[in-house]
Amino acid sequence: MAYEITLLTAMGISVIFALSLNLITGFCGQISLGHAAFYGIGAYCAAMITKSGLPFPLALAAGTLLAGVIGTVVGIASLRVRHDFLAITTMGVGFLFLGIVRQQDFLGGEMGLSGIPGSGLSKAGFMLLVLVIAAAAAAFSLYLKRSWMGYVFDSIADDEDTARMLGIDVSRYKLSAFAMGTALAGLAGGLYAHNIRFIDPDSFGFVESITVLAMVVVGGIGSVWGVVLAAAVLSVLPLWLQFISDYKLLLYGALLFCVMRFSSNGLAGMVTALAKRAGGRP
Amino acid sequence: MLAFELLLQGLVQGSIYALIAVGLTLVYGLLRILHVAHAGLFTLGGYIGVLVTNATGSLALALLIAMPAMGLFGIAIYRTCYQPLLGRPPYVALIASIGLFIMMEELFRLIFGPYGLSYVAPPLQDPVGILGVNLKQAELAAMVGAVVLIGGLAFLAGRTRIGTASRATVTDPKMAEAFGVNIARIRDINFFVGSALAASAGVIVALLNNLVEPTMGSVPSYKALAIIVLGGLGDLRGTLIAALALGVIESFGTIYLGSFLDRDAIAFAFLIAVLMIRPQGLFGKA
Amino acid sequence: MQKDFIRFAAFAAALGASATFGLTGAALADSIKIGINVPQTGFAAADGKSALIGAQLAAEQANANGGINGKTIELVIYDDQASPKSAVPIATKLIEQDEVKIAISGSYSGATRAAAGVFQGAGIPYISAFAVHPEITRSGDYVFRTSFVGEVQGRAGAKLIGESLGKTKVTLITLKNDFGKSLANGFKDAAEKFGIEVVSEYEYSIKDRQFGPIVAKVKSDAPEAIYASGYFFTAGPLVSQLRAGGIEVPVIGQEGYDSQKFIEIAGPASEGVIITTSLDRDSDSPEAKSFIAAFEEKAGYKADMVAASGHTAMKVAVAALRKAGGDDPKAIRDAIAGLSVEASTGTISFNGLGEVRKDVQVQVVKDGNWHRHSIISDPELLAPPEK
Repeated sequence: MAYEITLLTAMGISVIFALSLNLITGFCGQISLGHAAFYGIGAYCAAMITKSGLPFPLALAAGTLLAGVIGTVVGIASLRVRHDFLAITTMGVGFLFLGIVRQQDFLGGEMGLSGIPGSGLSKAGFMLLVLVIAAAAAAFSLYLKRSWMGYVFDSIADDEDTARMLGIDVSRYKLSAFAMGTALAGLAGGLYAHNIRFIDPDSFGFVESITVLAMVVVGGIGSVWGVVLAAAVLSVLPLWLQFISDYKLLLYGALLFCVMRFSSNGLAGMVTALAKRAGGRP
Repeated sequence: MLAFELLLQGLVQGSIYALIAVGLTLVYGLLRILHVAHAGLFTLGGYIGVLVTNATGSLALALLIAMPAMGLFGIAIYRTCYQPLLGRPPYVALIASIGLFIMMEELFRLIFGPYGLSYVAPPLQDPVGILGVNLKQAELAAMVGAVVLIGGLAFLAGRTRIGTASRATVTDPKMAEAFGVNIARIRDINFFVGSALAASAGVIVALLNNLVEPTMGSVPSYKALAIIVLGGLGDLRGTLIAALALGVIESFGTIYLGSFLDRDAIAFAFLIAVLMIRPQGLFGKA
Repeated sequence: MQKDFIRFAAFAAALGASATFGLTGAALADSIKIGINVPQTGFAAADGKSALIGAQLAAEQANANGGINGKTIELVIYDDQASPKSAVPIATKLIEQDEVKIAISGSYSGATRAAAGVFQGAGIPYISAFAVHPEITRSGDYVFRTSFVGEVQGRAGAKLIGESLGKTKVTLITLKNDFGKSLANGFKDAAEKFGIEVVSEYEYSIKDRQFGPIVAKVKSDAPEAIYASGYFFTAGPLVSQLRAGGIEVPVIGQEGYDSQKFIEIAGPASEGVIITTSLDRDSDSPEAKSFIAAFEEKAGYKADMVAASGHTAMKVAVAALRKAGGDDPKAIRDAIAGLSVEASTGTISFNGLGEVRKDVQVQVVKDGNWHRHSIISDPELLAPPEK
């Protein structure tokens, strides 16, 4: 059972992380190539707090808060740039985060942080916590999508200039998306740190940012169920594919490519298309 | 003296960045696609360069084979991978491109082995004195190559019908088409030229490091993106200057800021600083 | 007649095949599993390949020599891509589903450190072949390491430069990761003792292959020797660029250089480069000699430090299983702790923390091959951390 618990925990954390990016990229249309930085901020902050002997819930809350605050600051800066410029700016934020962490001795520098205390819960208990948070994040996403804010996000994602012309305070909504998305990423990071119990700068690098973006896009950008499904599958895919070890990454790349090439709306798009065909409508 | 040497080293690095980024900017200018897999062509160019040189002993022949071969490969990638995605949101092509790049890196590892390849007798390794500073011939070749190839490209873009057509297509594809420009052909040509330049960079980098690894393209894959953004996305002159500037900043930064930030972080700190002041890049139009 | 013969032959072949299968099945039932996590894809795949072939070689050799008290060794191999994130589920899978009683890491520090916690928690012995992170063995008493921690090797490097080579002004070129940083720390700790003054230190990232700026600055620093940490794929370009830049002082490296590929990349510039490592090419020990020959035959390329470390770790696991007699993890752990094994990397025994005690091999590049330079045998200097 322990193996299944480990897998479900990893899946759950990935789902939370992917949903957090979905708030920014999926709902609000702002592409981020540096989202792993906020995951890392949450992880480092939470780990430092439990390592100093303070309780785990406090650590999670602090990681969430710090990631959200820094995310908002980055969001304010990002208001100046748009589209592909924004994508590359966020990528830069990711590299800057790594560069800074690498040099901080109090964060373990290159050595990372070892000996992070456990959550105090049993393995199954921790899994349950992760899954409950993941479910809550999904429920929140669904609620948000149908709320007024969700509609405004949609219009910004669609066409920022038109939204502005309609009198929508685009900056404020973009900032809220950034704040919520980065805070949730921080929460996922805090959970990650107490699951793996060893963190180092390389765990929050560019590859991780790309991986989570791939989850969102493969799931179907903006679709909550698609993103949940894609995050769950993609996070454990490398483990399921152990039997083809040598071709594992090749297959992963091919999967990303093929989903985009043949169903650019991701898994969610595939399901919609199938449903339409089954219903006999064009 | 040291400053001059650091400047030269920065220009060498910048020239390589330029050769890679120019192709990317050509593609971006036309299609608004962040073509990450471009770095895979750069790596494959390096592999072809080493294999051909080792087999025949001629670096020139290696370049003559690698550049057109990668050019054609670039066209093939455009036609099979990007063309069907042109009407889609930009992130679709971006993720497809990343998937393609991962596949290419893994194929290189499976085909050529994880250890990478080296020149048996690497050419152009002798030192050349420039104003009292020694450079390898290969380093000089990187700079001269970049100047000749990119300068030639700029000349052609400015003076030939294809160049004019290409610029017109970048500015306003619909209008260009109305004036009888064959857009499909322009796109093929841009992919061919950009990919061939990346291949030349691959051959040169392989020569400088005497090593081609499967992951040789992973740093250029993201740094070239930063460069074209810095240069103003789609602007040839801006890309060239941004590439050289980044090379020089990294060169000085490695020595004087190395204990605060690593090379990538220095480059991106510069990028963010520029974008905060000029959100459209150094030479982009507002 | 001929047709009948063919039919008969086919039948016989089928019978033979099923018999063989039957045998394998029987052998599997009577086998003992050893788990390995190793990077087979991604950036660390090259080292993963060497480590895995080394470990497989040791297992084959043990099986040919009667296995583990009559049982055949069966390896359970998983690809961790050198990532901590994959290592934790893999460790759990090895323990829970494959029910291995001992496991080996052929991976880098991050993955090994993360997995070590899981193995320690489950009380399954775990041997790190070549990961250098100091925290790995601090996971607990079930975790062992057959390679040097970075600090120990850094101190050996200081002794080599200060005492054997008699150089005092040294520039450090440090790889920015756990490996390079811990080497640099060990070197700086011992520098004073051997009269070394560190005149300057530069850092580079594992992704760097172009060292022009560092070369230019080192030239102006004019040190008497350079202590540069790195792996063959960074050190090859670095050494060749240092020499091309006109810097002729000795370059001292470590086990990360230890691959024939380093010599191939750096070419003539590699001549005279000295490293501290674990594998002695000119060893008289039959263990090392037979390993070097057998590895090249199996792998098709020359043995390196990582391969020898994978081989050594597996050898330690085999010896412990034989000594423990059964498959009780506690007995196996105690067996490892009390072992003294002759392996390709020397005579292996462990201290209280599970760190290896062995001599440091100093190798030099001569005529395009690694050869013995000297051996540092200084138990006090080379004492690994005890806690």
